Amino acid sequence: MPKTQLVNPEELRKPGFVKLNDIPVNQYSKSIDEEKANFSKDDFLRIFRDMLIIREFETMLYTVKTTGEFKGIAYNYPGPAHLSTGQEAAAVGQAYLLDKDDFIFGSHRSHGEILAKGLSAIHKMSEQELMEIMSSYFDGNILSVVKPQWDEKAGIKQLAIDFLVYGTLAEIFAKETGFNKGLGGSMHAFFPPFGIYPNNAIVGGSAGIAMGAALYKKVNKKKGIVVSNVGDGSLGCGPVWEAMNMAAMDQFKYLWEDDYKGGLPIIFNFMNNCYGMGGQTIGETMGFGVLARVGAGINPEQMHAERVDGYNPLAVIDAMRRKKQLLEENKGPVLLDTLTYRYAGHSPSDASTYRTKDEIDAWMAQDSIESYKRSLIDAGVAKEEEFADIRDAVESLVFRAFKTAVDEKLSPRMDPKQNPDIIGNLMFSNLKIEKMDERECEVLIPKDQNPRVQQIAKKARSAYEDGKPVPKARVYQLRDGLFEAIIDKFYTDPTLVAYGEDNRDWGGAFAVYRGLTESLPYHRFFNAPISEAAIVASAVGYALSGGRVIAELMYCDFLGRAGDEVFNQLAKWQAMSAGILKMPVVLRVSVGSKYGAQHSQDWSSLCAHIPGLKVVFPATPYDAKGLMNSALAGTDPVVFFESQRIYDIGEMFHEGGVPEGYYEIPIGEPDIKRKGNDITILTIGATLYRAIEAADILQTKYGLSAEVIDARTLVPFNYEPVIESVKKTGRILLTSDACERGSRLMDMAQTISELAFDYLDAPPVVVGARNWITPAFELEQFFFPQPEWIIDAIHEKILPLKGHVVRTNFTPNEQIRRNNLGV
Amino acid sequence: MATPVIMPRQGQTVESCVITQWHKQVGDSVSAGDVLFSYETDKAAFDEVSPADGILLARYFEENDDVPVLTTVCVVGQKGEDISALSPGRAAVSAPEGTPASATEAAPATAPGGTPAPASEASPVPAPGAAQTPAPGAALGPEATVGSGSPADDGGRVRISPRARSLAERAKIDYKDATASGPAGRIIERDIISLISERAATHPVTSARPERPAQPAASLPQGQASAPVPSAPSTPAAAYEEIKLSNMRKRIAEAMYRSLSTTAQLTLHSSFDASDILAYRKRLKEAKADDPVSSINITHMILYAVSRTLLSHRSLNAHLLDDKMLLWNHVNLGIAVDTDRGLMVPTVFEADRKSLTQIAMEAKQLADACRTGSLSPDYLQNGTFTVTNLGALGVEYFTPVLNPPQTAILGVGSIVQRIKETEDGVEPYPAVGLSLTFDHRAVDGAPAARFLQELKDNLENFSVLLAR
Repeated sequence: MPKTQLVNPEELRKPGFVKLNDIPVNQYSKSIDEEKANFSKDDFLRIFRDMLIIREFETMLYTVKTTGEFKGIAYNYPGPAHLSTGQEAAAVGQAYLLDKDDFIFGSHRSHGEILAKGLSAIHKMSEQELMEIMSSYFDGNILSVVKPQWDEKAGIKQLAIDFLVYGTLAEIFAKETGFNKGLGGSMHAFFPPFGIYPNNAIVGGSAGIAMGAALYKKVNKKKGIVVSNVGDGSLGCGPVWEAMNMAAMDQFKYLWEDDYKGGLPIIFNFMNNCYGMGGQTIGETMGFGVLARVGAGINPEQMHAERVDGYNPLAVIDAMRRKKQLLEENKGPVLLDTLTYRYAGHSPSDASTYRTKDEIDAWMAQDSIESYKRSLIDAGVAKEEEFADIRDAVESLVFRAFKTAVDEKLSPRMDPKQNPDIIGNLMFSNLKIEKMDERECEVLIPKDQNPRVQQIAKKARSAYEDGKPVPKARVYQLRDGLFEAIIDKFYTDPTLVAYGEDNRDWGGAFAVYRGLTESLPYHRFFNAPISEAAIVASAVGYALSGGRVIAELMYCDFLGRAGDEVFNQLAKWQAMSAGILKMPVVLRVSVGSKYGAQHSQDWSSLCAHIPGLKVVFPATPYDAKGLMNSALAGTDPVVFFESQRIYDIGEMFHEGGVPEGYYEIPIGEPDIKRKGNDITILTIGATLYRAIEAADILQTKYGLSAEVIDARTLVPFNYEPVIESVKKTGRILLTSDACERGSRLMDMAQTISELAFDYLDAPPVVVGARNWITPAFELEQFFFPQPEWIIDAIHEKILPLKGHVVRTNFTPNEQIRRNNLGV
Repeated sequence: MATPVIMPRQGQTVESCVITQWHKQVGDSVSAGDVLFSYETDKAAFDEVSPADGILLARYFEENDDVPVLTTVCVVGQKGEDISALSPGRAAVSAPEGTPASATEAAPATAPGGTPAPASEASPVPAPGAAQTPAPGAALGPEATVGSGSPADDGGRVRISPRARSLAERAKIDYKDATASGPAGRIIERDIISLISERAATHPVTSARPERPAQPAASLPQGQASAPVPSAPSTPAAAYEEIKLSNMRKRIAEAMYRSLSTTAQLTLHSSFDASDILAYRKRLKEAKADDPVSSINITHMILYAVSRTLLSHRSLNAHLLDDKMLLWNHVNLGIAVDTDRGLMVPTVFEADRKSLTQIAMEAKQLADACRTGSLSPDYLQNGTFTVTNLGALGVEYFTPVLNPPQTAILGVGSIVQRIKETEDGVEPYPAVGLSLTFDHRAVDGAPAARFLQELKDNLENFSVLLAR
């Protein structure tokens, strides 16, 4: 909502028509003779070879899956095999012009794209560069397996091709010598040094991530373009539309600064094989008729969309050449409808009940490899024998890789027996990197001239001055703590970007970012569309490409809109890459208050449940700043929960208030906010303050001293201080605003029971929010834990308090009754 | 209108009482003041009388049931009255034995005599939700409420928190004796702590007491329900009589054993010339019969002398705990009293601040209350030193058994004539034996002997001591 642009009623209410441009469909019509200007004989034959490598590779996998052997060597491969037999021309065509600086992201059916992109990158790289990559990747472990099988006379490039085919296959077979140590597998294999980025088992999952990688290239002025290779079926997925829309935002054209102007350098290349698993996209599950039509719905340029004949590699290369040119002119994004067809089923278990044999035969009759070979022979480029020689070489290449990959000695799997932490150690990178790049930070004014910085300088950094509470208007608030950490990093790390809904101008819905607009150009700080999936997915793509990012979900309740992106993408890629990728993303999530059922939920437990995410929830300004500093210095995804109930709270616990300088609070360490001896209260988030109230009541009315511990972090979590406390007090109550059932508190209570059983005078008791919808603010006292609930629960379940009269029902009967009802 | 009869709370620390005998059957006519049932705590026995005229309509507990205080035990009313609302959450009489009833599920509306029970005295109030929605909760019965008093016992399984259990193990006491104050009748840490300190105050004094048939009248089971169990067929029925141990006898047995097995006790013997105190006693007897000083006896004077001597020997007026000693600033004198039910040890608090007459009066009242079973358990704890006297039974010297965590106990023997050498030759004098048992873990022999010596001096010069 920039004021520079007028939303003009005169303009907008005028009658008229939206005119669409023609959408080209299979307009390529050049002959081989015409293409001789663009391709040498070697090029023509290399295209053939690359297609054949894919065909042979997929055929080998199909044979192994269906017969348990290949060329006499038995092997049992239980994993997935979504083969792309039939789609070779499309794969080779999209990759042909791309080098290592161009990133491709794929789908569950991307073996062909991996091989094609790798072969293209190898062709364009120097031998020295290739050797450096191969000998440094996993300390040369993969190279040392491939090298003994390699005929030195064939050259380094051939070695690199062997490396590519073997690394991919070993990865599919879950070998430690695979590109991702076997942790990615068939649907996720990738190799960043050749510009091959994660393929994704979630349909359409790559679209948003690829868009984020394109954002990274644009913001950081990196070479190359990005290609999102997803299927036609993925157009049924909202996040794919979100990604295309965000890539085409008007602000790139109108608001971003001079040399940052223009849409993102990305091609949404839809490998249109006419089926989404068994669902026919044309005629059954979709309504676009021609997929390329979709571009017209995204922006006035219609995403430069066209359909290209994916059965002719030269047609695809031709389209890619023109589209790449557009991206280099900052005219992205582009949509490509690459028509193709797969012969194999969705997977080997697919009996193709949804299509006729005649249909398959009709496509096979026009097989891309055969017809391409025929056209080259017809045009006199090469003779039949030359193709036979290529075929021999390809068969021997794939067989070589197969023999090596199935060999248990040469290609072992990870051994968790020997090293029980081998996978666990990959869940987080746990690095500390101050800045992701060394260049200068682009900012608009010096930090000390920032109006918010100047305003904060006048504030009291403690909640109390001379024992009296400081008024809200003058106290350093939790939101100030977040701001200080964030603006500090913007002046330190040039790659840092922040975006989300209403971040710029508005300053974030809860004024955390107020003042940031004055310091930062658009390309570092901007408003995202209301597209939670695209916001998080692009953050994932931005981070795994090498940048640092703060993405924001305005309300925790909107997390559902980004479920796949948080749970399957953000959380997974570090481990699935076997540590190759880093994920320096801070996902700010604001837990609502006062706004009812869809705007007041604490879903920190959902995030804590998913392996691969760090989850923090500070409740004081001191902790908010220290934890944000830690999150922004690390390389792991941190879901950073904030509570709208306490954005304005001052620092009540840390002696001396919030330090002005930089400091970090380690993620994972709980903090004792009040010392005590008789009972421990462990809190998560804003409930801290209700626990403190309860502690006051326990002290004054019942003479009990409560030790109040703020968990601060949900994952990771150091139990030792809590266990020490429980050993002392013998009793513990846990409380947070999350709905009680299945919450992180329940998990903690269970762990505490195990770790401190012999010290417990009563079972750990959890007081969470009701398993209801959050009611209106006026009724919230019946939903969120209140100080009285804490006292009642202690009285009923832990330590009967003399003279206490309960108001709420914490009896075992009530617990059973509610569970019976599911509430 | 039917009147519920509740189990009274006898003393602040008492959470439950055992019914020892029913005196009325369901259907019997009763008059106000008739004894309905007898019951005991681990320290004292009591009778509960009917608050009204009428018919005993229901009994909710049987003999030997441990009933949480303030729970309805039975109902007196008129024939045909609906009393279902008064049931403490279990079927009358026919309920399976051993099921503890909840203290709170039907908290009595009125105390005996019709006065409203003070809210603060009632056990934790049942949650409003539970009271309003009885149906879902009914299946769980006692578990639905907290603080039911006696340890919850599911077929012999006692509920106890791990922390309380480990404390009991360290203190070497049987947690089953604890009075549960935790949720759902669970024994929790504080229950073990109070058991430890109760033990310190109520431990029986001596093992030297001549054994006699254990037939304490108040706890002797009578009537059909608790008639002696027939002995096994192979044993002649007449060979012995089998008597169920009373609660109190069990406590005494455990405490005696624990004292002797967990402390390092030994006894020093001495005696003193009682001429002075006997002469003084003679003079006091000359006072009018209604003058309290006329009933001061030798034991009272010994108590007085002990209270005045002890504070210069503080390690003997002490509690020995795990890793520390509590040296008490005042002397809380435990006095062993022989009753029909067994030995009891009431306490004269801060005896060092009281006059001889006060001590004498108080000792007498406490002994009387013990013998009638009317003593509040509050007077049965927190002693710092104990005096026991078997002199009346002709015992000269004995070895009193310590009452841990106290560090010492004094036994007083009978008066015997001895002779001593004087300048004029040999002269008889009345001698009284003193036996001081002390815990060698806390006190060495010499300091203990020095106490005994000073006590002897003070008793032999009692009139001088009185003047101090």
